[in-house]
Amino acid sequence: MNRHVVARLREFPPGSRRIVDVAGRSIGVFNIKGEFVALRSSCPHQGAPLCLGIVLGRTVSTKPFEVTYVDDQQVIKCPWHGWEFDIRTGRSVFNPHRVRVRSYDVTIEPDDTLEADDPSVETFNVTVEDGLVVLHV
Amino acid sequence: MTIHDREPIIDCDLHQTTRSPKDLYPYLPRAYQERIDLFGTGLSQRVGYPNGGDRGSRADAWPEDGGPAGSNLDLMRQQHLDRYNVEYGLLLGQEYRPVSTLPDTDYANALARAYNDWMIEHWIEQDERLKGAAIIATQEPRLAAQEIRRIGSHDGIIGVLVANGARYPYGQRFYDPIFEACVELDLPFVLHTGSEGAGMNGQPTPVGYPSYYIELRQGRALAYQSHLASMVFEGLFERYPTLKVVFVEGGFTWLPTYLWRLDSDWKALGRETPWVKRPPSEYVYEHCRFTTQPMESPDNKQDLLKVLEWGRAEQTLLFASDYPHFDFDSPETSLPPLPDTMRRRVYSETARELFKLTARDRVVESAAD
Repeated sequence: MNRHVVARLREFPPGSRRIVDVAGRSIGVFNIKGEFVALRSSCPHQGAPLCLGIVLGRTVSTKPFEVTYVDDQQVIKCPWHGWEFDIRTGRSVFNPHRVRVRSYDVTIEPDDTLEADDPSVETFNVTVEDGLVVLHV
Repeated sequence: MTIHDREPIIDCDLHQTTRSPKDLYPYLPRAYQERIDLFGTGLSQRVGYPNGGDRGSRADAWPEDGGPAGSNLDLMRQQHLDRYNVEYGLLLGQEYRPVSTLPDTDYANALARAYNDWMIEHWIEQDERLKGAAIIATQEPRLAAQEIRRIGSHDGIIGVLVANGARYPYGQRFYDPIFEACVELDLPFVLHTGSEGAGMNGQPTPVGYPSYYIELRQGRALAYQSHLASMVFEGLFERYPTLKVVFVEGGFTWLPTYLWRLDSDWKALGRETPWVKRPPSEYVYEHCRFTTQPMESPDNKQDLLKVLEWGRAEQTLLFASDYPHFDFDSPETSLPPLPDTMRRRVYSETARELFKLTARDRVVESAAD
């Protein structure tokens, strides 16, 4: 498992995403309401750049003609044909057990570079605002 | 030979006709008798298109008594039921099937009732091989449901019949009273080709009225596909989990590739209809059946076997001859030789299960026995 710094946290606000190339793979990293998730940006259908798709909720129904909108911003819809995936797990909405994309862990870690750049600072408290967004591939 | 000697045949598309509308008069209110005397029935199948054969039928199927093809039970026995050792035949009428194209709802219902009573008395009760599907007029589905409940528990009535041509796709809630009655009486809902573009119905193809009959016929599959999509995406089979639907004389070879398309689109567009829980093909394979005639005849008949396999013919396909119409498919020559299980399923077993028919003793005994 390799560690890849994607961005400084303060530069990666909720609702935004970054597409990074890591080890020859295109991976999308998303800030979903403060929660960070990452998905392989390749749709299993026809290889479209999945993580360029729109992020939305999904519709569920308990009986015909009744629709409930749930899981807002937890679904990504492929930019080409519209296959939908749970952005946290990579599982497809229509066949979650058999059709899925790889998902990756994302962590927030202390920004050691700040410390290195400024050795005169003797105490350094890590806060969420000044961490690093780190992708584990 | 594609059907083995003495193997049962259940023929899911036979056409019997009245000699004239007067045959229905014993079952029809007086006011409507007068209307027909003065103005005719007002029914039309074809909006002025011609047909094939001799007035639509096999030229050899016109009885000597002067009535139209399909009006003489003895001839049907001789030419078809006995000739091919038909175990059961499903009567789907002819000239009264377009009742749903008429503007007058009550007249249409009266015709449907009269036709159903006539069919029972003059055909079903005359030959134990004959069963029928009750015609309904769909203009007012609550009245259609009344007719289904009135007639549907008769032993000889094994389905509810409508035409392919329709004012609305059959999955829509407009028709719910009809499906409630079908499910209540455990009767399959049977669509038969016809009425496309007739009477009050919309145009017969998505691009209007074609000039020629040969073109009109190609619209059948388009209409069936529209009804199928409607049934799936309106959640018809979620709403009526025991409903069965039979698509007669609209082709079969298009089915598997059409279902591939529905399944693909459902993956991409399913959020519009989230009550469709399973891939569309699963609903269709579970709930829908299709008849063989008119089966395509590719240069290499073996090519059909691949398509039959794709369309799960063992589960979905019912043999139909369309006797006495000109495009009749012979039980002996219309299909390529089929694998044993598929042959038995297609020629009789699937229909016997679907319509809950008890196996009859063979009419023709083997000489070797």
